[in-house]
Amino acid sequence: MEIPQLHPDACVGVQAHRAKKELLAPLGLSPELPPDWREKALCKFDELLKQRRSLSLYLDICVRCGACADKCPFFLGTGDPKNMPVARAELLRKVYRRHFTVAGKVAGSLAAGEELTDTVLQEWFTYFYQCSECRRCAVFCPFGVDTAEITMAAREVMASIGVAPKYVTEVIKKAHETGNNIGIPEAAWIDSCRFLEEELKEQTGLDIKVPVNQAGAEVLLVPPSADVFVNTDTMMGYARFFHAAGITWTTSSYASEAANFGMFLNYDQLKKVNRRMLDAAGQLGVKRLVMGECGHAWRAAQAFMDTLNGPVDFLEPPCPEHILELAARYIRAGRLKLNKSANDGLTVTYHDPCNLARAGGLLEEPREILHAVVNDFREMPADTIREKTFCCGAGAGLLTDELMPTRMKGAKPRMEAFRTTGATHLAVPCAICKAQFPVAFKHYGVDAQVVGVMDLLGKAIVL
Amino acid sequence: MPGILLAVILYVAMAIFVIGMGWRMYRWIRTPVPLKIVLTPGPQKASGVLGRLAGELFGFRALAKADRTLWTPAWLFHVSLVLLFLGHLGGLVIPHIAQASLGLNEQQFEHMAQIVGSAVGILAIAALVWLLLRRLLLPRVRWISTFSDYFALVLLLLIIATGNAMRFMGGLNIIQAQRFVAGWWTLHPVAPPRDPMFTVHLLLVCALLIYIPFSKLVHIGGAALLSPTLNQRNNPRQHRYVTTWEKTDGNSPASS
Repeated sequence: MEIPQLHPDACVGVQAHRAKKELLAPLGLSPELPPDWREKALCKFDELLKQRRSLSLYLDICVRCGACADKCPFFLGTGDPKNMPVARAELLRKVYRRHFTVAGKVAGSLAAGEELTDTVLQEWFTYFYQCSECRRCAVFCPFGVDTAEITMAAREVMASIGVAPKYVTEVIKKAHETGNNIGIPEAAWIDSCRFLEEELKEQTGLDIKVPVNQAGAEVLLVPPSADVFVNTDTMMGYARFFHAAGITWTTSSYASEAANFGMFLNYDQLKKVNRRMLDAAGQLGVKRLVMGECGHAWRAAQAFMDTLNGPVDFLEPPCPEHILELAARYIRAGRLKLNKSANDGLTVTYHDPCNLARAGGLLEEPREILHAVVNDFREMPADTIREKTFCCGAGAGLLTDELMPTRMKGAKPRMEAFRTTGATHLAVPCAICKAQFPVAFKHYGVDAQVVGVMDLLGKAIVL
Repeated sequence: MPGILLAVILYVAMAIFVIGMGWRMYRWIRTPVPLKIVLTPGPQKASGVLGRLAGELFGFRALAKADRTLWTPAWLFHVSLVLLFLGHLGGLVIPHIAQASLGLNEQQFEHMAQIVGSAVGILAIAALVWLLLRRLLLPRVRWISTFSDYFALVLLLLIIATGNAMRFMGGLNIIQAQRFVAGWWTLHPVAPPRDPMFTVHLLLVCALLIYIPFSKLVHIGGAALLSPTLNQRNNPRQHRYVTTWEKTDGNSPASS
């Protein structure tokens, strides 16, 4: 896609709503900006620098070569130079230089150091919430500098002084209270699963279960909660698959959410939210843990869970397994009867969610499944898929209405790539992408639909 | 400038460089990596990680994927820098060993040094000018550039330009330069060649040595090799990843 002209400060006014004390206090965060916020923030910054090599090393070694500059969907969409990954990191780096390096302490602004002021804090809150932690920049960096690590650290520093988005904190609070991001209580979860069973009965004439809290089941499936209430075809796709594969499974009303918004706020919350599904697996006595169609949930579970809350040796490996890995395994073994023509009339392309591709190594399985269940499957251009995939524009806590201008601009590279395929359906195994793309399609006048990979598999399975 | 002073300045600069780099690298290595943050698809085995790091170190692979018009001057510059370093080592520090191991007589050796040194000197200048022009002419790269980015480029340009000047103007007494270097590193400093270009060249190198540990040029201390997104194995489900930070620090967030 074409590199835009620079539009300095194009996005400066687009900010997330700030969380107030009723959301901050329950998450153990400062309920308001303390009078000595500057010292507190620098103290937290110092702590993180000593704990994370990814922070100290990446702040030190960037040479500002600009290889990443034109790789970020938010820069490509907005033209705001502060959305270039290197410039985004500089917002943190200039404070790092001033307060934590010899050169910055001695030479100050000549060494491009800057004091942490209210203006800088405002800049941080704007631009570190215009990064979706998608890591596309890191793929092209000669040192693997990962702006997601910089963004996470900046968000953690801000959270420590009570500067956090309403959306992210609200979602985490709901996850603690109800087990899911939507805030649905147990009774409603059970009701919705019963409803889906009825729907499946109507569609197939069979008694296909969508079990809840079934102790002793083989598999605990943790889907993004949106699959039960919004993307119900995906949920029914899981149910059809488990039914056909003959695997006993259950959902948990205690851990009814795969997503982990803790990752978008700080380490403590990442760990705490992640704990729930392991507790549920233990209580239900399942043998295996399977994750549903969600991008960052896969990263949190696959890459972080064992470190954060392990050992998980009471569950069978691979722990966790992704539903798409499991399904691909069954297809490879010839254990599913499939009828591709069930998806005829659809021209399908596949969107790699950032976290599946660049942080979870799940690139082949979705394609294997799509090739097995769709006759007309085609790829988007090579520099926009797999590890070079473009973010949907709403990851990492951006999926909120007040950020809509940024979200739509961030979706631009993906929309342009999609247009080149002539596809009617965009298959995407991620709840955030599934919420973002329909809005983006409308915004860009694209006549297409979003569909889950398991939706398509579910339809093709001969029951 | 009295010859002995130049030698002393070089001792001080070298000490700052070695201690500074050691300190920076020690701090990076000592800082824990709490989580698996490897970029995927990534290698599962250690041999794969070595391949990935070698690709970045010798081929600048990520940069090649990013932008060929950046990769070309960046790679050429770094290669010429390595060759210039080896050339100085062979021509000034261990000339007899270098000459013998290449199986050349003195005349052939000097002839070779002339040709290779000239070519690499020109190549390095061309790559640096390309990088400088890129920084000045591409609006997005110009926007992110700070004083230190230009400072580093100009300093390197001046060092290589003064080096080239000595070679092409033929003013330098190479025997005297070899004696100075031999005396310097055996801690018996002698007077340097009486050539103002040599003095300027050496002082600029001292400035570079002092500047490196405190600037972005610190990346020569193994930036890609220490980078967790590149040097980790992609095996969080096969091997439990637990850091020493979590094991030793009872107050860390991980164990709270």
